[in-house]
Amino acid sequence: MKKTLAITPEQIASFSQLHQEPAWFAEMRQAAFAQIEQLELPIFEKINYKHWPVMAANAPTAVKSDLSLMPSAAANLSADQPYAVQIGQTTAKLNLPAELAEQGVIFTDIFTALQEHPDLVQQYYMQVTVKPNEDRLTAFHTALMNSGLFLYVPKNVVIKQPITAYYVQDSTQPVDFIHHVLVVAEQNSEFSYLENLQTAGDHKNLANVVVEVIAKDNSHVHFSAVDAFGKSVTTYLNRRGHLMRDARIDWALGSMNDGNIIGDFDSDLVGAGSHAETKVVAISTGKQIQGIDTRVTNIGPRSIGHILQHGVILEDATLTFNGIGHILKGAKGADAQQENRVLMLSRTARGDANPLLLIDENDVQAGHAASVGRVDEQQMYYLMSRGLSKEVAQRLVIRGFLGAVLSEIPDKNVRQQLTDTIERKLIDGQPVK
Amino acid sequence: MSKLEIIDLHVGIDGKEILKGVNLEMNTGEIHAIMGPNGTGKSTLSETIMGNPKYEVLQGQIKLDGQNILEMPVDERARAGLFLAMQYPAEIQGVTNAEFMRAAINARRAEDDQISVMAFLKKLDQRMAFLDMTEEMSERYLNEGFSGGEKKRNEILQLMMIEPKFAILDEIDSGLDIDALQVVSKGVNEMRGADFGSLIITHYQRLLNYIVPDYVHIMMGGKIVTTGDASLAKRLEDEGYVGIRDELGLDIKLTDDESK
Repeated sequence: MKKTLAITPEQIASFSQLHQEPAWFAEMRQAAFAQIEQLELPIFEKINYKHWPVMAANAPTAVKSDLSLMPSAAANLSADQPYAVQIGQTTAKLNLPAELAEQGVIFTDIFTALQEHPDLVQQYYMQVTVKPNEDRLTAFHTALMNSGLFLYVPKNVVIKQPITAYYVQDSTQPVDFIHHVLVVAEQNSEFSYLENLQTAGDHKNLANVVVEVIAKDNSHVHFSAVDAFGKSVTTYLNRRGHLMRDARIDWALGSMNDGNIIGDFDSDLVGAGSHAETKVVAISTGKQIQGIDTRVTNIGPRSIGHILQHGVILEDATLTFNGIGHILKGAKGADAQQENRVLMLSRTARGDANPLLLIDENDVQAGHAASVGRVDEQQMYYLMSRGLSKEVAQRLVIRGFLGAVLSEIPDKNVRQQLTDTIERKLIDGQPVK
Repeated sequence: MSKLEIIDLHVGIDGKEILKGVNLEMNTGEIHAIMGPNGTGKSTLSETIMGNPKYEVLQGQIKLDGQNILEMPVDERARAGLFLAMQYPAEIQGVTNAEFMRAAINARRAEDDQISVMAFLKKLDQRMAFLDMTEEMSERYLNEGFSGGEKKRNEILQLMMIEPKFAILDEIDSGLDIDALQVVSKGVNEMRGADFGSLIITHYQRLLNYIVPDYVHIMMGGKIVTTGDASLAKRLEDEGYVGIRDELGLDIKLTDDESK
């Protein structure tokens, strides 16, 4: 069998040493690394990424990034709110207001967390949501993780201010971005977390990002993301929630990347009465391929899993939405609903919307809607016959189509940020007339 | 006052010549009707005036206030004052009716002089009430799932919101029941005035009982063959196209001609 990676266990061990990782963590890396070859790549319906360089990693090295790559929006972050800016492996800014630290909130980069809170991290890191040996990409991630963040919100703590993170993938140099975000919401906690994924530079690089959200009993996590990795980046992005009794996660995700990406957004509704709302908007432009696989698994009784995804495709791009609703035996009274819609704005755009409902319990509610639509020349002619320029007509169609999801996102700031990103991506993505 | 002139217009589609020298002049303040049998080029004329890229102008000119508009793309023609109420309006998912009309109005205004939401909604409510349209129609996706009658009504609503100089109504009466026909006519009559002109394309005289035209043109074989006042439409109703053709001594084969 052909070796996938030109990396040795020794190189990984020396990276562990460099970060003074606890022994269990270094061992977890080694064990995962040893399994990479045996494990298969995960399969996503109708998303063929076999030829993508998702495994084309270099040996792990510590790389410093230039602080001048700081995103301009990060300048406006208020000292009253928790925020983090990471550029590649470099934590450029980190702020946790004192009153939150006093309540026991932990907000720090992943390597510091491993040193200062090893027991806490060990309890959750790749233990509850995503497992190292799930498939080749998760093993790869475990073995080679080189940056990340840890957020821990203790029992009964409610954080009013939104927690904001910027993760800038540094493509000014050839370095992989293997990033891990671990979010733990203890019982009855509630907070909003917004992450912004961005790229600086145009080196061809790979990004492998795993985000774990553990939502314990009766916690409520508002999780938002504006994903805008650059054109030269090939990305595997896995966000997974584990919801316990009466916990709730509201996912609001904007897939506005410019490069090829697999987005795997999953919620495991383990506890009774747990509830996940997943809202995704996506735009594909140029020649890029975005494959988005959103899954909700109802395990606990009366659990609720809703998926709403709308995407727009311009030019020669591809966008695939899979919506998977899986109700396991025993999830009595569960509710799984989903809507997946894509709209194509050119003859050469390719789109797919695939609802998959797997139901192993009788006493449930489940439903799905899916559509693949096209705005054709006749429609553009109609819009333009009322005086709209082609660009405005297209943007109107796109904004309207995505607006159906955006209007469902409760946080006004997140909505605005997504709207702005959509606008920017459209202006960049529309062919110059 | 504005003037729309069509001069010796020849138009083809898929290499076949449909219009064979149309001449027509109209001013704001006037309502013109074009009647003609099937396949004679009435829709070709309306689509060509608006600028549908599917139609190829082989010869001739179309001028709006002296300016040749044939080089202008459809959106520019619209902003210059032309409007076409289409026979088959497109359905567009994701764009609400209200949002669309607001964008259409704003496309005619300067960046720093966009219509306020309040002013827009006031105008929209008033026009919709006038056309007996329910409020929810404004929040539905543009023409999506609209019945034939709703689509036609929606075309007239857009006309009343945009207030163009010249409106071409392409078989606005087709598929309408008598109630809808009356509402549509009421809308067009409301627009009537010194700053508005309309070119009404129809098969049937019935519509012209509700919107009384100043001029009636009969089109056959890709040309306007005769022009008169409203009484010409009534005569047509009695004699049929064959009668008019034979009276004019024209050698034109009519698609639905049963006399041959």
